[in-house]
Amino acid sequence: MVFLTLSCWIRNRGPDRYWKVQELLKNARHFRGRKNRCYSLAVRAVRRAFVYSTKARKAKRHCMRQLWISRIAAASREHGMKYPALILNLVKTNVQVNRRILSELAITEPRTFLSLAALAKARREEGFRAALGDGKEPPGVYSRIVQSH
Amino acid sequence: MSSFTKSAQQWASFARSWFLIDARLQPPGKIASMCSVRLQGKHKPIYHALSDCGDHVVIFNTRHIAFSGNKWEQKVYSSHTGYPGGFKQVTAAQLHHKDPIAIIKLAVYGMLPKNLHRRTMMQRLHLFPDDVIPEDILHNLTEELPQPRVIPKKLNEYSQEEIDAFPVLWTPPKDYRMK
Repeated sequence: MVFLTLSCWIRNRGPDRYWKVQELLKNARHFRGRKNRCYSLAVRAVRRAFVYSTKARKAKRHCMRQLWISRIAAASREHGMKYPALILNLVKTNVQVNRRILSELAITEPRTFLSLAALAKARREEGFRAALGDGKEPPGVYSRIVQSH
Repeated sequence: MSSFTKSAQQWASFARSWFLIDARLQPPGKIASMCSVRLQGKHKPIYHALSDCGDHVVIFNTRHIAFSGNKWEQKVYSSHTGYPGGFKQVTAAQLHHKDPIAIIKLAVYGMLPKNLHRRTMMQRLHLFPDDVIPEDILHNLTEELPQPRVIPKKLNEYSQEEIDAFPVLWTPPKDYRMK
């Protein structure tokens, strides 16, 4: 048994410096080398570690978004679409599902994701048809795209 | 309850598939980019860099790859032995002559992420210079990937009817001398 509160009940708890050092070393106990027990080394390492963790809170959002995007890209390629086309057409059809949820759908509910991909594909075809117009090129323009369709 | 049990069902989610690619008359870079995606597992929605979900890729006919342009003569592979004056440079043709799997191997190796998983992923790449693949690997294969480039047909592979039916843009005059 470890009594964490026991030391708090003691009336005279030793010199202040001891407690200050312990408070800091508490954050450094898992460090490598002498940094986890020598105050003068630990103090700089702990300070650096806290700076890293502050920065990491912001970087985590960036990394997670990258991971979601690579997962959605993999799932959309399974249904014959590229990632930018999928996202663009989902935006155009006003599907307000963010990338986190899309990647979760791709893993846990593949059929839901398939229906979203089918929706985006249909919107894409619609856009292509609209761009081609009624199958005739504008006057004075010879277009290879219109001819081949 | 059923949804609870369904969520635990992940049969073969982490199984490794074995892909087969025929490299005959294919550009090495395109083959390598197909491979590096599958070796990393980036074609799966469950992808994570640390979850080691890459698949095996088997490439055969690497002796018969096709570089475009002047790459056989002018693409240079450099290395350094570490000794003074040990800087080696060989062209793609020389390297391919020495080792018919080296070009594809280097292309894939360069396209994988530069971290400690790279060697592990390379171990899942199986390269064969010709169309002879060992039995134990043949048994594992699950899927053949389509070739990225359509192999052009040679003139001697067309029948005479096909050649005659080909639309002629210009009929040469009778006294025209073909070069």
